[in-house]
Amino acid sequence: MRISARESARVNASILLVSAAAWAVLLVNPGGATALAHCPVTDSGVSAASFRMLLAMNPVSSLAAGWALMLVAMMSPMLVTPIRHVLERSFKRRRARSVTLFVVGYAAVWMAAGGVLLGARLTSSLLMPRSYLPAVVAGVVAFVWQCAPVKQRCLNRGHRHRELAAFGAAADLDALRFGVTHGVWCVGSCWALMLFPMLLSQGHLAGMAAVTFLMVSERLEQPRPLGWRLRGAGKLTRIVAAQTRIRLHGLLSRSGPSLSGSGSV
Amino acid sequence: MATYTRNNAWNNGGTFNNPDLLWYAKGVGVMQFRALDDTSSWWFFAAIHGEYIGESGFPGWGSIPAPPSVPTAPLPAQDVRDTYWDQCQHQSWYFPPWHRGYLIALEAQIRAAVVGLGGPADWALPYWNYFGPDDEYEIPPAFTQQTLPDGTTPNPLFVAARYGPNNDGNIFIPIPPVSQGCEGNDVYTGSDPATPLPGFGGPETGFSHQGDVSGNLESNPHNQVHVDVGGNSPDGETWGLMSDPGIAALDPVFYLHHGNIDRMWAAWNNNGNSNPADPNWLNGPAAVGEREFAMPMPDGSSWVYTPEMVNSLSQLDYTYDDLSVAVAPQPAVRLARRLSKLRAANAAANAAPGAAMNTGDSSELVGSNNQALQIKSSGARAVVRLDSDVRGKVSASLSAASETSPPDHVYLQLENVRGTRDSYKLNVSVNQQHAGTVALFGLRRASLKDGAHGGEGLTFVLDITNIIDNLFVDDALDVNTLDVRIVPNQSVADSADITVGRVSVYRQGQQ
Repeated sequence: MRISARESARVNASILLVSAAAWAVLLVNPGGATALAHCPVTDSGVSAASFRMLLAMNPVSSLAAGWALMLVAMMSPMLVTPIRHVLERSFKRRRARSVTLFVVGYAAVWMAAGGVLLGARLTSSLLMPRSYLPAVVAGVVAFVWQCAPVKQRCLNRGHRHRELAAFGAAADLDALRFGVTHGVWCVGSCWALMLFPMLLSQGHLAGMAAVTFLMVSERLEQPRPLGWRLRGAGKLTRIVAAQTRIRLHGLLSRSGPSLSGSGSV
Repeated sequence: MATYTRNNAWNNGGTFNNPDLLWYAKGVGVMQFRALDDTSSWWFFAAIHGEYIGESGFPGWGSIPAPPSVPTAPLPAQDVRDTYWDQCQHQSWYFPPWHRGYLIALEAQIRAAVVGLGGPADWALPYWNYFGPDDEYEIPPAFTQQTLPDGTTPNPLFVAARYGPNNDGNIFIPIPPVSQGCEGNDVYTGSDPATPLPGFGGPETGFSHQGDVSGNLESNPHNQVHVDVGGNSPDGETWGLMSDPGIAALDPVFYLHHGNIDRMWAAWNNNGNSNPADPNWLNGPAAVGEREFAMPMPDGSSWVYTPEMVNSLSQLDYTYDDLSVAVAPQPAVRLARRLSKLRAANAAANAAPGAAMNTGDSSELVGSNNQALQIKSSGARAVVRLDSDVRGKVSASLSAASETSPPDHVYLQLENVRGTRDSYKLNVSVNQQHAGTVALFGLRRASLKDGAHGGEGLTFVLDITNIIDNLFVDDALDVNTLDVRIVPNQSVADSADITVGRVSVYRQGQQ
């Protein structure tokens, strides 16, 4: 059973609006929320002094806030389907509560993952300040991960929407657990892609936008058997192209098949 | 006058005295002689629907009992497989149009073979109307003969793994529970007083090899006939070809069954019902970024088609010899009858005739059980706890029912049904009243964690509005729980591992 088309449109619009707002903040202040601040001390190589200065200029609270903003901007569009699942399987009066618990579980996993990814970013900043090399290495790692069977496993599990209890504490726990498990598979799928733009010393936002497009696209693909393959942004590109074509030109016209024995088309 | 007319397979007693069947058998034989990687082979076409060629052990194609002797090599090139194989559309609003194109392409291949053998150029695929009179609920006898009329040539229509509803090789369709009641729907996707969710043709989806909920035509009769014909082997170790979408199209009776399903769709349209006008349906899965419907044709070309291109039989130069429907929709009459039952007779008498509005798919959870169920041979029982507030909404809706305030529809949902075997049906009752029967066709594929459905399993929706009305009329709806029993149609093998994730009840407002 599904929520109504009107409810569905409202959910989609709300989620995309939240994402758009986060992107707007990033665009308005591109260096403020997610970029690392540097000075001659932090650029002077690996030392206790440079590390202390780096943390002083980029406090943990500020890094966490920037990371959270990135998550909201980049990950929200991918939560449309699981949030709809939570809505459809919950009592109406519990929907907001269940969705909140789902998001809390999901965000908790990503914030924990952020600790590791931000650590990698700080380390690379100390070792190779203002260098593109860490981003290149991360890009290669992301490419290999992108093609690997384990990536497909994570994507497939992300399509699995668990049964949810309807009543009481069991319903709360299930919503939270669903958020956590969905977050774990999402981190497994996206960690390398997320790391890449974080390590770019320039073009950070453009990298984030490209990665978001790719992540949304691959999330729209159906689950597939495990295997090595190149996973790109084809699905979303095709959707945009097809829907644009439909709206611009109306229904496509094609010739039918020849139904004779020779069956030419 | 259409060039091609599909006729009843039971003409001339459903034997080889029916030339449509004799030519079909010969054409199938020609296609079966071709190699797996030949796009015009019987095996290639079966794989278009679905395949288990790479699997070891049954139902892997290498372990299917002969006849037919199913090849697993040589494989076509990967790009050819990506274009054609594993296309079948189930649990989707694309179910009717994809299968219509599939039939047309297979028919073109058979016809080319028939013509090559000196047969008629207007040969068309016969259909098996198991709802027909007399013995027509049984499989046409031509499919049970081991040889062709010459007495020596093996009959290509005969397959070993076809066991029937009692697992004894006696192939028939039990009517009921198999029904043509879906012909009484008048909404393709959605619902109204004459149409329970998700509608006659199926729910709106993207490209879905295995999806969520079957449409009403697909659920019954389609899924049920598949499972009834296939059945389980007498020793219970394996199952019939027709029971499982990954092997179903290896059985020649598959296409006669789908001929009847296609005929029912055409008859439904012929009775004044409309297909979707939504561009996402008309343009097919390509509109939502998925691969297009594609079929190999006899000249080696590829026919890429959309639902819009198979929207009606006339545009395809086809017809059936019988396009009558057994059940008329009459939504206003149904609503009036229901209102009368709900003691709103005065209002019902004023109900205006005409088509009711499609109320779409807006629904609200009323209650659910609290744990997953394992379906054993003895069945399973679920206590569905109802939320008193939402149950109150249902009661209020039934109490205030009138032509301007139609009463709620109520549905029972079996969520995330998983298992390793499709060849069972589940009989479902609510408070000792029969709610319906569901066939598990597609269950195995939908349960594979790395399959197209991500291991979500299948979900079944049963319209229990009538049961809830009865409880209301008997002043028995003011309860905290409903007693749901799920009983399989036959003994369930332990290895089938059939589970139901959650049993829930939903209300659907009608305004």
